[in-house]
Amino acid sequence: MDAFNNLFVNIAAAIRGLFADSHSLGADLTINIIVFILLFLIMVVAALFLSLVERKFAHWVSQRPGPNRLGPHGWFQFIADAVKMLGKEDITPANVDKFLFKMAPMILVGVTLMAFGVLPFGKGMVAINLDLGIVYFLAVSSISTLALLMAGWASNNKYSLLGGLRAVAQMISYEIPLLFSLLGVVMITQTFNLSSIVEAQKSVPFIFLQPLAFVIYLIAGIAETNRAPFDQVQGEQEIVAGPFTEYSGLRWGLFMLAEYGNVVATSVIAVSMFLGGWYGPEFLPGWLWFILKIWLVIFLMMWVRWTFVRMRIDHLMHFAWKILLPLSLVNIFLTGMGIYVYDQLILRIGG
Amino acid sequence: MFGEGLLKGMSITLKRFVGPKIAEGYPEVKPYLPPRTRSSMALEPEKCIACGLCVIACPNQVINLSSEKDENNKKILMTYYMNMGRCLLCGLCTEACPTKALKLSQEFENAVYQREELLWDMIARSKQSNKSSGKVG
Amino acid sequence: MTIEGTQEYSINMGPQHPSTHGVFRMVVHLDGEVVTKVEPKIGYLHRGLEKMAESRTYTQFIPYTDRLDYLAGPHNSLGYVQAVEKLMDLEVPERAEYLRVIFAELGRIASHLVMIASGSLDICGWTPWSYCFRDRERILDLFEMTAGNRMTPNYFRIGGVSHDVPDEFMPALKSFLDDMPENMEEYLGIFFGNEIAQSRMKSVGILPKELAENLLITGANLRASGVQYDIRKAEPYGIYDRFDFNIPVLYGCDTYDRHLLRLLEIQESIKILRQALRDIPEGPVMAKVPKVIKPPIGKVYHRVENPKGEMGWYIVSNGTTKPARVRIRTGAFVNVQMLSAIIAGWKIQDLVTIFASMDLVLGEVDK
Repeated sequence: MDAFNNLFVNIAAAIRGLFADSHSLGADLTINIIVFILLFLIMVVAALFLSLVERKFAHWVSQRPGPNRLGPHGWFQFIADAVKMLGKEDITPANVDKFLFKMAPMILVGVTLMAFGVLPFGKGMVAINLDLGIVYFLAVSSISTLALLMAGWASNNKYSLLGGLRAVAQMISYEIPLLFSLLGVVMITQTFNLSSIVEAQKSVPFIFLQPLAFVIYLIAGIAETNRAPFDQVQGEQEIVAGPFTEYSGLRWGLFMLAEYGNVVATSVIAVSMFLGGWYGPEFLPGWLWFILKIWLVIFLMMWVRWTFVRMRIDHLMHFAWKILLPLSLVNIFLTGMGIYVYDQLILRIGG
Repeated sequence: MFGEGLLKGMSITLKRFVGPKIAEGYPEVKPYLPPRTRSSMALEPEKCIACGLCVIACPNQVINLSSEKDENNKKILMTYYMNMGRCLLCGLCTEACPTKALKLSQEFENAVYQREELLWDMIARSKQSNKSSGKVG
Repeated sequence: MTIEGTQEYSINMGPQHPSTHGVFRMVVHLDGEVVTKVEPKIGYLHRGLEKMAESRTYTQFIPYTDRLDYLAGPHNSLGYVQAVEKLMDLEVPERAEYLRVIFAELGRIASHLVMIASGSLDICGWTPWSYCFRDRERILDLFEMTAGNRMTPNYFRIGGVSHDVPDEFMPALKSFLDDMPENMEEYLGIFFGNEIAQSRMKSVGILPKELAENLLITGANLRASGVQYDIRKAEPYGIYDRFDFNIPVLYGCDTYDRHLLRLLEIQESIKILRQALRDIPEGPVMAKVPKVIKPPIGKVYHRVENPKGEMGWYIVSNGTTKPARVRIRTGAFVNVQMLSAIIAGWKIQDLVTIFASMDLVLGEVDK
């Protein structure tokens, strides 16, 4: 079982061993390029596969079988979707701001890929072991707001402009509860490094110590990735896909890739900081537990999407500023008091 | 408590998620159509006496027929055309027919690629009705 | 009220839009997210039905009446055939009257189910939409079993109905009525009880009682503003005075009440259907009418309670087989003016919700 646990670490060590000096510039560069390609592939496959899973989930809730033509029970549908998207005509409308129009999807995908770099997929399996892990993740994912605004403004379409402005309002408001809910965990573990945070959950996952923060993080995470019930950005009944209205073919595909990549990244952070990362009973290797836990969080997010209706924009802002923010501050206060009590009383009694 | 309605909604969705699927698997599973379904028209030329009551009854001037008299001074049907592009499938013509020669049939896969193919020659179609998908009448 | 340095702009929610129910165009004047004025522009589905009626006989016009409010199939022809029978002084057999009531109330349930479904679809609730349509399929199967078509059955005739129901109709109807209470519990749980949906719909789009009466709004929109007026009780037509049912009235005047009222009306229709199923006699289904229908010279005006509002039929006959003039007063056409009267001050998302609660069908608006 130990061999399975360390499977990918051993493969990386073997590749390093092919070089004369296993920590030279050449070895590091090779490993980094391989990891980069792997991360990109993970993002692409996850996005394609998740869009199919989402469709299947939505249809099973309405008592329908979902796409069931290609492959066993339809599970190869994403190949057809990918090929179709690559084959579509790339339409750039006449009076758009060409530079911003073409840059927006690229920035969104690039930002998501940058955020994937610090995610710990298993013991020792992280692309870049940054000490600033969680701060880097939050800082980089805030740039996606700018990309949506660029898409909304450059499209020369009033619907897109409305969508872009709504995106700015929504994503800025929900980043603050997102940050503060994660601050409780950081206060307990005294570090920003994601791998160390997972290792600190060896005995008990933090969801039992911080239940309120988990709920707030999940709600704010759903709002950050623009899914229902917070998807006014792509209204579809009011503003006909918002900033994404004028995009077609592969550019739209890049937007969808970034959106599902963000979903995966959000659930990875939820699993790492609250659900115990790669720890689990011994009959499965660690990285497989990790994947199962990610599936659980994604299932929860999809379940919420297909049951609830959309919120109005001012209710949403009210919810973020007047309900979630005070709750997360209360959570920080309680965590601080808990740490103080633990330090003074329990440690002193324990000797 | 606040949020109770949300949780109830989620429980309903979960119950349907794990439940059976009731969608029809067309085209592997053909739908069951009741006998009175009005999907297309069929003619039995042997029974037709070329009275022209169906032409008068139609609201949209879909049918046109031509006949000629034989040696007993009885009318024989020569041609019978229906312009299905204008047909409402209302069934008033079948109610008007005195010999029940014009009937409604259940073939519903009638899509064509050219508009000219919508002008149906009913006598020619009645000769092929055994090999196509729906039943006649 | 625009802030210093900003200006109003206008958006065209055109005939092709995911949430206008049909081909309906609105020019919306906005100040930020707040709507200041809406100009509805109709006429994209005008087919000239009233003019076509002058060149078809009375029986030949019945398939066209089904296409007015295409969501409540047989209910439209009810008003028309009853108006012609009033003109000709015809007596309809008992069994035909009961069958007419059954089909009209089934059409009402189908129309209200679509209204609730699209009301939830417009605020991105995809699941309640599919549950409502699943139940509407059973009603359409009942229509197909009897008359032949699903949405435009062409079943009523002048003097009765065209033919009797088959044997499997009554058991199928009974099983549908037995399954409906559980389905309505499901709609309540997943849509009406959802706090987010309530926050979207409660206190939104208030239609005050005096304004509703002044604008001649009819149907469920009027009854959700506190006015108890239903033609089935005020001037009963057919045999509606033999049935025991209530007129639900709500006093909130907002979008939530308009949606909830239609759910309550489905319950009342189920009551009527159960009584009709119990009391229907045997007998002929068509009166003795002449083969060629020629009403005497005269005019008649007859009103029925359509699911969308009040539907009035004004028929002028000049003694020939074709009418001289048929004028249809449809509820949805008059209800369109409600939109521009109450919209000022709400946001774009409320515009979509209010428009869904008005329950327009463009076939009725444009004829």
